[in-house]
Amino acid sequence: MSRLSIFYRLMVRPLFHEPVRLSLTVLAVALGVAVVLAIDLAGNAAAGSFHSSMETLAGDNDLEIVASGGVPESVLGTLFTQPYPLRISPRMEDYAVIAETKQTLPLIGVDFIAEGSRYATAQAAEPTKSQQQNVTENSIRQMEAPTSVWVGSSLNKSTGDQIELIINDRSFHCTVRGVYPDASGNESAILMDIAAAQRALQRFGRVDRVLVKLPPESNLQKWQQELSKVLPAGIDVRPQGTGTHENRKMLAAFRWNLRLLSYIALVVGAFLIFNTISISVVRRRHEIGIVRALGATRANVLLAFLGEAACLGIAGAILSLPLGRLMAAGAVKLMALTVEALYVSSRPGPIELSAWSVTLALSIGVGVAIISAISLAREAMEVSPVDAMARGRREYTARVHKRRDLLIAAVLAVLGAFVARMPAVAGRPLFGYVATLLLVAASAFAIPALVYFFSTLTGKLLGKLIGVEGLLASHSLAASLRRTSVLVASLSTAIAMMVSVGIMVGSFRQTVMNWMTNQLPADFYLRPAGNPASDRHPTISLELTEKIAKIPGVATVDRLRAYEISYDGMPVTLASVDLRALRSDHYSDFFSGRPTDQVLGELRNANAVVVSEPFTYKHHLKAGDTITLPLGESRDRFKIIDVYYDYASERGYILMDRDTMMRYLPDPTPSNLAVFVTPHVNPQEVRAKIIGAAAGSHILIFSDRDLRTEAIRIFDRTFAITYALEAVAVFVAVMGIAGALLSLVIDRRRELGLLRFLGASAYQIRKLILVEAGLLGLLANLAGFVLGYFLSLILVFVINKQSFGWTIRFHWPVAVLLGALTVVYAATVLSGLYPAQVAVRLNPLEVVHED
Amino acid sequence: MPILSLQNVVKEYLTDGLAVQALAGVTLDVNGGEFVALVGRSGCGKSTLLNLAGAMDFPTAGVVQIGGASTSALGDAELTKLRRDKVGFVFQSFQLLHTLTAIENIELPLLLSGRNNAREAAYERLRWVELDGLADRFPHQLSGGQMQRVAIARALVHSPKILLADEPTGNLDTATGSVILHLLRRLTREQKTATIMATHSLEAANLCNTLVQLRDGRIVEVTRR
Repeated sequence: MSRLSIFYRLMVRPLFHEPVRLSLTVLAVALGVAVVLAIDLAGNAAAGSFHSSMETLAGDNDLEIVASGGVPESVLGTLFTQPYPLRISPRMEDYAVIAETKQTLPLIGVDFIAEGSRYATAQAAEPTKSQQQNVTENSIRQMEAPTSVWVGSSLNKSTGDQIELIINDRSFHCTVRGVYPDASGNESAILMDIAAAQRALQRFGRVDRVLVKLPPESNLQKWQQELSKVLPAGIDVRPQGTGTHENRKMLAAFRWNLRLLSYIALVVGAFLIFNTISISVVRRRHEIGIVRALGATRANVLLAFLGEAACLGIAGAILSLPLGRLMAAGAVKLMALTVEALYVSSRPGPIELSAWSVTLALSIGVGVAIISAISLAREAMEVSPVDAMARGRREYTARVHKRRDLLIAAVLAVLGAFVARMPAVAGRPLFGYVATLLLVAASAFAIPALVYFFSTLTGKLLGKLIGVEGLLASHSLAASLRRTSVLVASLSTAIAMMVSVGIMVGSFRQTVMNWMTNQLPADFYLRPAGNPASDRHPTISLELTEKIAKIPGVATVDRLRAYEISYDGMPVTLASVDLRALRSDHYSDFFSGRPTDQVLGELRNANAVVVSEPFTYKHHLKAGDTITLPLGESRDRFKIIDVYYDYASERGYILMDRDTMMRYLPDPTPSNLAVFVTPHVNPQEVRAKIIGAAAGSHILIFSDRDLRTEAIRIFDRTFAITYALEAVAVFVAVMGIAGALLSLVIDRRRELGLLRFLGASAYQIRKLILVEAGLLGLLANLAGFVLGYFLSLILVFVINKQSFGWTIRFHWPVAVLLGALTVVYAATVLSGLYPAQVAVRLNPLEVVHED
Repeated sequence: MPILSLQNVVKEYLTDGLAVQALAGVTLDVNGGEFVALVGRSGCGKSTLLNLAGAMDFPTAGVVQIGGASTSALGDAELTKLRRDKVGFVFQSFQLLHTLTAIENIELPLLLSGRNNAREAAYERLRWVELDGLADRFPHQLSGGQMQRVAIARALVHSPKILLADEPTGNLDTATGSVILHLLRRLTREQKTATIMATHSLEAANLCNTLVQLRDGRIVEVTRR
């Protein structure tokens, strides 16, 4: 107890003497931890939603049977005739859009006759009698009508209500026949009878998934093998939820990169804790001497400073909990949109601040604080009582070994460059991250020398340019080299991340824009209405397609059909192109550099495919390799004849001739149409005719320009969270500058008071502090820009490539970088306003004569 | 006309809500070329008088005039200008900026007031204090006596009418202190500066033209030699 009391008096109580600086440090830690927590919470909520409707409503089954393009109903017959005690539940699974709210919900076709009542009792946690009645009272006749639906209670519908649904390109006026409990809204789906769903989706003779419940205590693998034996080669028997697992696996890189990005603010926060403890050690050097002389051991001193850091960490972590929860609410929306646009249909789940989240926040906060403080605490421990108590002519300043640090920086940078060339580990760019950390560390070690040389070289120049304040400011920064270096390192790290991510995103954006110019040769593109998602491929009716093809002025219509399939345990999009519809000016960017016509010509009527770059990267494939694809009931081999650059989806594409696909999956309805207008015909007239032909159908029509604008909008939205994370890191760093300048003012109060004695005006004192802030900002911008450039090379050519498999061409987003650096610089200078005001208010008589 | 004039000056401070009188009706005139020693026990009001004389503080009552201008009537900017032009300070603990060399410390007041030829003036003052060869040394490379000489040179760099020295030999050994005191006396005579020095040292007091004895915030005796 007495030790705690001494700790409080000597270490904690002095912190409260500078409430503003204490608040800034705690807030910096809190923001750093909150960002990590927010990304973790939001990631769980966004990714957790795959499990929601489709899987929760699937019930407690053991196996699932799937096939590319759907499971033929004949397979059901085979299964039902097996002499096994299995429960077989076929499902139709797609999406419907509620016309009124534009909300996209899973559409699930269930065999109500076989399992209607079983579903009602199994899925509702505690179904009420009336809810059970809702299901059982509905007659078979009502069930089989494509206009009868059952909905979750979160939609606020009652039995008998009307609801308009858009399924593919058609509209259905449905009647709610029953409502099932759905308290969180996460299990919300539209339920239909399976036969009705087949009719609504125009997919006859096939179901999307067959769920199998095995007898109790069965061997899953054994049954998997048994069932595979009796089913056609193209049919996949796998544990239930494999699709969800595959999606999670696919999302891992996205979540992993976002999580690492969230650590930037934490690293910046760590620099600031280091700075705070560093100030504490320097200020308390005399006190350390006294307590050591009075009997404190070295270990006591070490623990005292680590304890101080831990207090800051705990305070920051506690504050981070509500902050993180708040940030997660914003982050989850952005993440869910990105997940849906790039990966898979998803709806955000609830954000749950669990005991794990609290433990995570506390561990990170305290851990980072202690790690930041450990070297300083050891330094304090080494202080000898006699040296510390003796008041020399020269005040104690922390030691900085510029040359040694510069050498360490060079070694780290070389090591970073070497490590960056290492391959991915289990699909993750671990060495890329290590290289990033090594470069950040190299920069931190190089900064003292940079600050020293900059200050000594520019001192006189600044004196001439800015006046005596410039001279004094540069001398002051060089004099408190360690503190200045830590500040410059923290802000430059944040700026470097901003610059590197800015360059990476700018390069990516430019690459995508160039790519789209080549990829969109048609005049118009059509797709069914509703929110687009990477894994949803609603179809356009064949009649409408034929009608559009016959419109005068339409030269040709390219029918693209897409399916979601699984290849080597990962989801991928299988698509077909209508080679007969292609024009000679259709251009694609192939790895081989061969003309498009030549490459696509090789697809014609052959078991050959072209694949997208992310697909080859994920599966370690190249042109010339052969892949085996499960298509319908068959499983066949296809040769990869070329690889093309593609930025539409990270899941990857396999592209084949439409005629080839029809051999395996004979559903002629297209997912998208690309319409080419006859030369010299006014495209707007043709557009009007297409709109007229599509009246009554829910089809969206885009020009190539619309599509580009939409793609860039989605792109910018995707990276909005990245910018938000960077902004927090920069904000934390700027706050750190404000806090550090404040402590600089307090530490130098005697000097500032003396300047007043020597004739300095209040204006000059204010200007001096602002010039120091400006110099700090300038140094940090310079160091941050250089470091940011090198980090951007790792991001573009190593981390991005190894995570997502995209080739990005380097591009300088000059305007964005200039704008961001200017804003950060202005913020740094402005952060000096309050410390400057404190400096002006100092009483020179008190501060010069004290001590 | 005296360069510094204090008329019935009273100075009170509030300490924990209680008024403490540091000066209680002090009247004193000091002329150019006069070397004044303020003597008395600790807490008798020597430093307070110096602060008022240097326009660093205002009297609670009475008038402090520097070159005919009452400090109480001036704003912050005018007081700053007054100090820049007319007052120089020397402190017991030298108060040099450790980040600046000797010459940079000396020229600092001129730079702060935006005057030209600061470096030349600084070198001249360095010669006055006989430290010509040490211009580029930092304070920690100088002895205590050398540091105080630099401080004196800095205090005189803008040719002030008043030089205020608060225990200038307090941190020096006897021999070095003696050198500093003779230096101050020489410069006072040569530059016609009004030098007011707070001191405990008898030797210092004996070197001055005027000896002002203070007790409990009052002047008890003024001896002019």
